[in-house]
Amino acid sequence: MNSQRALDIASLQRDLAQAGYIAEPGLAAALLLMRDLERPLLLEGDAGVGKTEVAKALADINETRLIRLQCYEGLDAHAAMYEWNYQRQLLAIKLLEHDERSGAMDLARKEQDIFSERYLLKRPLLDAITGERPPVLLVDEIDRADAAFEAYLLELLSDFQISIPELGTVRATCRPLVVLTSNGTRELSDALRRRCLYQYIDYPDYEKELAIVRKKAPGAEARLAQQIVAFVQAARRMELQKRPGIAETLDWTAALLRLGISTIDVDGAERIMDTLSALIKTRDDRAAFPREVVARLAAAC
Amino acid sequence: MLSADASPLEARAAARLAGFPGFLRANGFGIGGGDSVQALHAADRSGLLDQDVLRWSMKALLCRRGDEWQRFDELFDVWFLPANRWQSPERREAGEGGQSDAHSGGPAQGGAADDEDIRPRRAASREEVLSSTDFSALAEREHALEIEALMRRFARQLKYIRLRREARARLRRSVASGGTPFHLVWRNHRSVRPRLVLMIDVSRSMVLYSFFYLRLARALAVELVDVHSYIFHTRVTEVSQALHDPDPWRAQERLHLIAQGWAGGTRIGESLEQFNREQAPRVVHARTAVLVLSDGYDTGEPRQLSDALAQLRRRARRLVWINPLGNRPGYAPTCQGMQAALPHIDLLAPGGDLASLRAVLPDLIETLH
Repeated sequence: MNSQRALDIASLQRDLAQAGYIAEPGLAAALLLMRDLERPLLLEGDAGVGKTEVAKALADINETRLIRLQCYEGLDAHAAMYEWNYQRQLLAIKLLEHDERSGAMDLARKEQDIFSERYLLKRPLLDAITGERPPVLLVDEIDRADAAFEAYLLELLSDFQISIPELGTVRATCRPLVVLTSNGTRELSDALRRRCLYQYIDYPDYEKELAIVRKKAPGAEARLAQQIVAFVQAARRMELQKRPGIAETLDWTAALLRLGISTIDVDGAERIMDTLSALIKTRDDRAAFPREVVARLAAAC
Repeated sequence: MLSADASPLEARAAARLAGFPGFLRANGFGIGGGDSVQALHAADRSGLLDQDVLRWSMKALLCRRGDEWQRFDELFDVWFLPANRWQSPERREAGEGGQSDAHSGGPAQGGAADDEDIRPRRAASREEVLSSTDFSALAEREHALEIEALMRRFARQLKYIRLRREARARLRRSVASGGTPFHLVWRNHRSVRPRLVLMIDVSRSMVLYSFFYLRLARALAVELVDVHSYIFHTRVTEVSQALHDPDPWRAQERLHLIAQGWAGGTRIGESLEQFNREQAPRVVHARTAVLVLSDGYDTGEPRQLSDALAQLRRRARRLVWINPLGNRPGYAPTCQGMQAALPHIDLLAPGGDLASLRAVLPDLIETLH
């Protein structure tokens, strides 16, 4: 039962793979739906499962800009939407002081001039809605921002306009494709969730991770790639504080290649130990990988 | 909506689909009336007759959070598939290779290998009690006003705790007026309260106090947004959603469902270890104060408790232990559990009843700064 939509999904998957992202069909379906319904897409999942990469790949296949807004605690509307270019404004004021023209009319015009778009610094959110072509707007780690900022964002996402007191309302000239990511450090508001399509991204299974390693690290031979992925998958099943993500897998692959390790086996456990810092990121987790464990895991690969 | 010339099959499928959001809502999904319309719109685009495509589209559209994501596939099957075509719950084999990236479209392949819970969390332990517990005390009227008043006071005092101050605001304001500081922003008044994580011991030795603490947690959650509550005995369970339900009856119902093992044995170390592993990375950050409400009687290894607490302490901002026995005359924290815990906690406070909690509040606030 191959509907038109199924073909669309398969073709989008191919495009994403071309852009270096291996997507499950479910994600591809969500991306199509996001385009159809003009809704933002909320991606949740552990750190390092490739949430941010989705937006990059999406920008790549649409051949458009990626505008990234990295959220952090204390991010406010100024840093995210717009700011006046105070230095230029001051300079303009000084210049206008020596201008011969005066009188009420001119004064009003001067003032209007100073608060015109020339003196406006576009921050990511304003930038995203005033372009000529719809860009991809990535709001990264939205859970790190405060609840107040979430409310600002909500307003933008529903009306696609920003009001600037001195200038008036700026309407969107294009609707960006919005991707939000969250690590779940803070519960997001229901209102935000309601606006978004949702996608939970889990750690990849063996096949998918192998495909990713083959794609992103073509230098690794097929056998080594299989061993690397098997090793990481086994490590992920251990009880670790910080489970290695895909980025760690790729880092580790690079580290192994760099040291010229071409196969993972028991004899090479010592050398594998040297590279583990690319995969294991806390002291307690490191303690869970003594030589014997590494040798055992390596033997099983 | 669907075009008029839809085949009878499609019309039937659309009618079936129209009821689906309501079905999800009945199963606890947080979706509203507008979503039904959206679902039909989306189905119009994606087509109704390809099961997988419909499943993926509806999943993205109608799920809001992780737990809904996990349950969706099963509910989808229940609603759309005839009874004998449900996917069997054993998806362990499918998990290995079932989710290949090619879309093969067969009805047996649901793209649903990700909802299994592999972690061996369900393992039974010898000290678990699987009886049900009466939660009606949760809505008890006695002392309700006092508890609320105390928690309101606590919440209000927390508001004055500022963990971060910014000088940047003043600079920015002065730039706006050409470097002349018209607006003297002496201090940014935005307060950043610590997040609270309550770990409530509900083992048998705590039976007299656990309800009291649950009511405290419930009253506190009314005042503050950022409160996360957990109960533990031999393992740890999150109760925030259930406990903070505004409807007291529904809160009781939901607690009923998750309270297996209530009043059983205590393994604090193991519970905290589990918490560290599964919840802490998500819940505990540098602004978090963790409050453990327990008597410290532990049947596990003291060493394990000590390690788990040390790990939690490193992650959190403050670690406070409230011991209900602490205000008994002649009490000293000599039991093994407390001995193991003492080196890692910032404050050990007694708190068996309202009066002692009230007395300890200033200390608590002081510690949380």
